[in-house]
Amino acid sequence: MIPSRAARPLHLRLKHAALAAAFGAALVAAPAASHAQAAPTGPIEITTGTSPGGTPDVLMRRAAKILNEQKIIANPLVVQNRTGGSWMVAANFVMAKKGDRNIVLCIAQPILTTPITQGLPTLYDKLTPISMFIQGDLVLVVQPDSPVKDLKQLIALAGQRERSVKVAGAQSGSTDHMVSGLVEKAGKVKLNYVPFDGGGAAQAAFLGGNVDLMTLTPSEALPLVKGGKARILAILSTERSPAPELKDIPTAKEQGYDIVWGQAWGLAGPPGLDAETVKFWDDAIAKLVANPEWQASLKENFLRSRMVPAAEVKPYMQKLHDEHLALLRDLGLAKQPAVQ
Amino acid sequence: MDALASLAQGFSVAMTPTNLLFVLIGVTLGQLIGALPGIGPSAGMALLLPVTFGLEPVTALVMLSGIMYGGMYGGTLTSVLVNVPGEAASVMTAVDGNQLARQGRAGQALAAAAIGSFLAGIGAVTALVFLTPALSAFALGFSSPEYFLLALLGITATASLGTGSAVKAMIGATLGLMIALVGTDPIQGTSRLTFGSLELLEGVDFLPVAIGVFGIAEILVSMEQTQASAAVRTRLRDMWLTRKDWVECRMAMLRGGVIGFVIGLMPGAGPTVAALLAYVVEKKASPHPEKFGHGALDGVAAAESANNSAAHGAMVPMLALGIPGSASTAVLLAALVLLGIRPGPMLLTEQADLVWGLIASMFIGNVILLIMNLPLAPLFASVLRIPYSYLVPGILIVSLVGAYAISLSLFNVGLTLFFGMVGYLMIRADIPRAPLVLAVVLAPLMESSLRQSLMLSEGSPAIFVQRPLSAVLALLVIGSLALPLFNFMLARRAARRAGVAEALSHSSD
Repeated sequence: MIPSRAARPLHLRLKHAALAAAFGAALVAAPAASHAQAAPTGPIEITTGTSPGGTPDVLMRRAAKILNEQKIIANPLVVQNRTGGSWMVAANFVMAKKGDRNIVLCIAQPILTTPITQGLPTLYDKLTPISMFIQGDLVLVVQPDSPVKDLKQLIALAGQRERSVKVAGAQSGSTDHMVSGLVEKAGKVKLNYVPFDGGGAAQAAFLGGNVDLMTLTPSEALPLVKGGKARILAILSTERSPAPELKDIPTAKEQGYDIVWGQAWGLAGPPGLDAETVKFWDDAIAKLVANPEWQASLKENFLRSRMVPAAEVKPYMQKLHDEHLALLRDLGLAKQPAVQ
Repeated sequence: MDALASLAQGFSVAMTPTNLLFVLIGVTLGQLIGALPGIGPSAGMALLLPVTFGLEPVTALVMLSGIMYGGMYGGTLTSVLVNVPGEAASVMTAVDGNQLARQGRAGQALAAAAIGSFLAGIGAVTALVFLTPALSAFALGFSSPEYFLLALLGITATASLGTGSAVKAMIGATLGLMIALVGTDPIQGTSRLTFGSLELLEGVDFLPVAIGVFGIAEILVSMEQTQASAAVRTRLRDMWLTRKDWVECRMAMLRGGVIGFVIGLMPGAGPTVAALLAYVVEKKASPHPEKFGHGALDGVAAAESANNSAAHGAMVPMLALGIPGSASTAVLLAALVLLGIRPGPMLLTEQADLVWGLIASMFIGNVILLIMNLPLAPLFASVLRIPYSYLVPGILIVSLVGAYAISLSLFNVGLTLFFGMVGYLMIRADIPRAPLVLAVVLAPLMESSLRQSLMLSEGSPAIFVQRPLSAVLALLVIGSLALPLFNFMLARRAARRAGVAEALSHSSD
């Protein structure tokens, strides 16, 4: 790609900055002024599709705070909640702003799954990908007094009678639902998935002893475990988590079931966003990910921040989409025609 | 007393100048946000989340929760003065409060609401102090079957909401249930009656319905009347609450407060449902049920007491278990997470200073709100001395901006105007509007909890009577249906005995 005239000095400067970093200059303290010219002018909106307080909203607000406070991005970052249509209102708002440099969309699972479950045209391949940079694990929990001690016993129990094991989770097609589908598939059993109005309501149903099994994030599960209100059966990552509170929890894979699922969040721009702005974000997120305050705040909540940079995010999203599509189709929730 | 010692500790945290200042800021903002239709307390809290970043956790929390319950006070204002509910939980207030305002009794309505909110708020915080651990276990006893029966109780009670015929009230409720069907099926996730519209995918939001059916419809009707509705002429000193008013309201406040608190405890019901049920109960308990819908002060007092104590009650599952009982407590939880505190069952012990400081701040915040609202009630009420024709454009703007603010889209503005037309036609056809709005609120809860219950029981309806709490609720539902029927039959028998059967056959149609 031929850089535009305006972009060339930026390019050099960035190279310079990178070089400086490589030579041991403090990466965190790198002043924003070095690429101020390439930055969009004025405030930038980060659009999310959850109501305030939802995980993606909290993450974006925290990212925006650190990006602004550490002067990684000088433009005021405004997190805007455009709720409705399971993220489609937010997504369509950004989709309509072709090439707008002052808006980005928070990428969360519904951006992939809502088009699949509602039979709408896909979005992930039309937006300009920027980066995926937050990842989270999931764990399976049972009632503290449950006779089930591990995944194998759970599957055995579920195999005794179809739909006898009750699972609480968020709305149909949510992460919880997909994990339940993965368990069904791996164990060749049928669970009784009861969708509630969001994760909080599902948790209340679980704590009230109305269901047997539920999917939680580690930060939701650990306080419950500590309070003797739940027991973790398995973590659904490829490897055990290094966190001291989680390192003794076996993965589902270890227990002989190929159930690997997690959560991922990131940013994308409107369609046709110029390469310069993508580079601006790519650079900013690289600095964010290297920021100790950001890393610490994620670690507290058992999240990780591994950056999938702009150069690699396209195939990554493609893979993510195909996985979701396959799983939702298994669950009978996909309305979208198969990707050939 | 253990709790008292903790509370004293909490007060020492809450009484620092910084925390006091932020309680004041929080409740003042809450008052404003509550008064603006469209922006509810939860959205307001979320907007201000970033502001709290640099603050101490306890300072941030006292401010945010101040917005939460301050909003319950503020919502009364627009409901009473212009018949546009400032936030969802003030719908019932709009029904009677506005009628009172037209009779020149807006001051009393606002004062009764403020005092009711205050007493219920203080009562609820006191219950929080002593009962949080015990209540959290009780709150978990409520699940889908109980929610279904609770919502059903609300719907059956709508028949009694109308001022005229029960049949017309049920027509209103049925319309509401039909509106609630639009959107995504809560269990299957398939879209229903959306006609391919993305905006309708999450259903019709409750606020456009309430703003349209109450606020806009009112304006449309007023346009037909050629300036007969002159400004309300009252003097400032006629707007204070009299002793008679107080006697009329005090039991309503008590009942409303208790009902609100219990419903607030349940994660999933919320202050709106609390206010609705308190109003319905009050109508049954009131010595003058015929006044309800035409400006019953005790109706306003009950509904407002209930929504404030429900907002406080929702803190119980949040503090004791880490479960958000309402949209507002969800934002509070998010704030905790942002501040690096992990909510959950251990919060009460691990963050005792924070929790008790927060609880103590709610005592202070409620006092501030009372001081702010009570003397100013007549002042706010004098807005109505402006002739209605001059107020209309303002009301219209506030309503439509509120509708826009719900999701920052013009779609909801259109929807609001549409429901304004619906409301207008309902007024013309003499169909009561409250049952419609009530049904829109209750239907999603009723539908999804019914289906969840049957999934949990694998299809057996016995789940609704097997659980102790649901058995009690089921009896109440049956009672609420049987009682009017029984009364009717008794009345008929008495009439027959008196030999006036002929007269009855005339009046019964």
